[in-house]
Amino acid sequence: MSFSNLIELKSFSVFPEYFIGISILYILIVLVLISYSVSGLIMQKPVSECIGLILLLACYLILNDDLLLTYTSVSLYSSSCFYKAISLDYFGVFTKFTVCFFSSIYFFIISDFLKNYKLTSFEYLLILLFAVLGLILLCTSNDLLTAYLAIELISLASYILAAFKKTSSYSVEAGIKYLVTGAISSAFFLFGSSFLYAFTGSIYLTDFDWILFNDSWVISDIAVSESFIEIGLTLIIFSLFIKLSLAPFHMWSLDVYEGSPTISTFFFAVITKLSFFVFLVRIFHTATLYYQDSWQFYVIIIGFFSIFIGSFGGLRQKKLKTLLAYSSISHMGYALLAFSAFSTFGVEMLVFYLVIYMLAGLSIWFIIVSLKLNTKLYFNKLNKELGDFILLKKTNPALAISLALILFSIAGIPPLVGFLAKLGVFLSILQVKYYMIALLAILCSVISTFYYIRIIKILYFENFIAGKLYFPITTNKTILFSFSVLFLIFLFINPTFLYLIIQKTVWSSFSSGLILL
Amino acid sequence: MSNLSPDFLFYSFSGILVFSAATVVVAQHAVFALLFLILSFLCSTFLIFLLECEFLALIFLIVYVGAIAVLFLFAVMMLNTKLQDLSRNLLKYLPAGLVFGLSFFIPVFYQISNSFKSFVLKNSQTIYNIGWFDLVDSISEMESYGQILYSYFILQFLIVGLILLLVLIGIVYLINTFNAKQTTNQSTFKQLSVKSSFFSK
Repeated sequence: MSFSNLIELKSFSVFPEYFIGISILYILIVLVLISYSVSGLIMQKPVSECIGLILLLACYLILNDDLLLTYTSVSLYSSSCFYKAISLDYFGVFTKFTVCFFSSIYFFIISDFLKNYKLTSFEYLLILLFAVLGLILLCTSNDLLTAYLAIELISLASYILAAFKKTSSYSVEAGIKYLVTGAISSAFFLFGSSFLYAFTGSIYLTDFDWILFNDSWVISDIAVSESFIEIGLTLIIFSLFIKLSLAPFHMWSLDVYEGSPTISTFFFAVITKLSFFVFLVRIFHTATLYYQDSWQFYVIIIGFFSIFIGSFGGLRQKKLKTLLAYSSISHMGYALLAFSAFSTFGVEMLVFYLVIYMLAGLSIWFIIVSLKLNTKLYFNKLNKELGDFILLKKTNPALAISLALILFSIAGIPPLVGFLAKLGVFLSILQVKYYMIALLAILCSVISTFYYIRIIKILYFENFIAGKLYFPITTNKTILFSFSVLFLIFLFINPTFLYLIIQKTVWSSFSSGLILL
Repeated sequence: MSNLSPDFLFYSFSGILVFSAATVVVAQHAVFALLFLILSFLCSTFLIFLLECEFLALIFLIVYVGAIAVLFLFAVMMLNTKLQDLSRNLLKYLPAGLVFGLSFFIPVFYQISNSFKSFVLKNSQTIYNIGWFDLVDSISEMESYGQILYSYFILQFLIVGLILLLVLIGIVYLINTFNAKQTTNQSTFKQLSVKSSFFSK
């Protein structure tokens, strides 16, 4: 491939990624020059909003992709570029767009609050942008090497984000813990990839499909036995489950979420989850299609176990961030149930659930990040506990009602969209006839409602005379926030457009091999 | 020399590798552990040489032994940490470690030893072909790496560059104290008066 071929715009499908990468370099150069002459404190807000705009532009570039413009009529079109390293399909484009869009909203949200949390150096935003780049690379990566590098980009950024507050020993501890677990996860991934490579002789996911199931390829002649691929898949699934903090692999996430700066925790809990699921779907639902029997049962058990842990672990929890970490574990469990249903309907419901999870997560973390005690004290307490919400209905009634709505949506109470998301997950698991697991998961969901409703009780029904006073939130942020809360209601009334988009993306990308339900 | 089969070298090096890797875990003294770590790196380098991957082996040698292990050794000697409680911890974590390690190791070992049984050449000296064509018209290993890296894996190469940049930014931020008044000077007296507790005990 010559250089002119490389920059040919016709096959320039990673243009958004190039755009973000070049903007990272540009921001780095400009801000290093500025920050040595001007104090770093004043440029937090503009830089953050600028990065939000960059990501919005990247969203536009993703929508402007060749694939959407030229191949809309061909429903089953899926292709790849960079010698099969990057796959071009609607699934990748949609998830890339989702990650980009939500992270641009994230940057707009945090722009005001970086000062409160004393994260004043510009490197923070830059490292966040690196992590977003890794996330959108992972969404479209089609081989194990690119996926590994994207995961490394995400995780190395995450370690630094967790340890970013050098003065707090909790933050440093969180960073070290994250680093050690992440190193184990990477080692698992590489070991599993080496097994897959030993069996197939290829690292491309599209090749696996061909090599494993093409009739002309006689497997009995190969020296290695077929359970090599099962070992490899097991190791890869371990590594990705550690990253997703599913239940037997969740121990790191509680400490890391509590210890790291709240804005970083916001990022870990909300933005990062979708891409890992996209890669899981790619490797398990398309590449190694007929190994379904060897993993489905165990993955369903892991999904149920994480719902169980997430529901019961949060019951006695008083720290808000740890509570939300448990909540995130149980949500990942629901998403994993939809994943393990192994049907196109299951993948649709997985993506729908994760989009709703990100929307609700953005709203609730917005409240947690934005509440700042109205005191003159310099050493303000930054980590919140449940008791900090006492009498919020008196001090800020609009925020209180929207927090109650978001919590109802996360718990899955009907007039909000969280109900539809959970309903879809249970439908997809019922379609493959795991009735008992669905029943138990619903029971755990009822139990987990307890701690969501306890927050609402603290908001509204506490017999305290004096609550805590918080600073009001600026108008710009309020508009953004009310849109995201309104969407939680609006999507319940009319979820069709989201369902249709997801159905189209999933069907056009995965319907070739999956069971159509 | 003719009796020396290639398997002999392989088995001896991998035996030393396993022994030294186990010693790294068990060793009480941090310096000894690191020296055995270096030995295990060396042995794996020899193993890679036996597979005729010269470039990879040399990179392994230069990066791991030349840079990382020596840096470790330097840091351990500087830090002067006390590691007396290691043996107690080892006994505490041994059962869980053994259970998980064995349940992980046994299936993998079983599969590998089963799978490659048919490929072991019993009499490896009889089958000895020399590809004359490869000797005449060949490119060096470096060249082939370069050709593949800059054509097929250009995207991955760029991502690796970004990862390095990210790590650079992160390390500089985490280490730098941004204290302009206090410059770090070398204090010769302090350095010379450090009591070496490693080799006295």
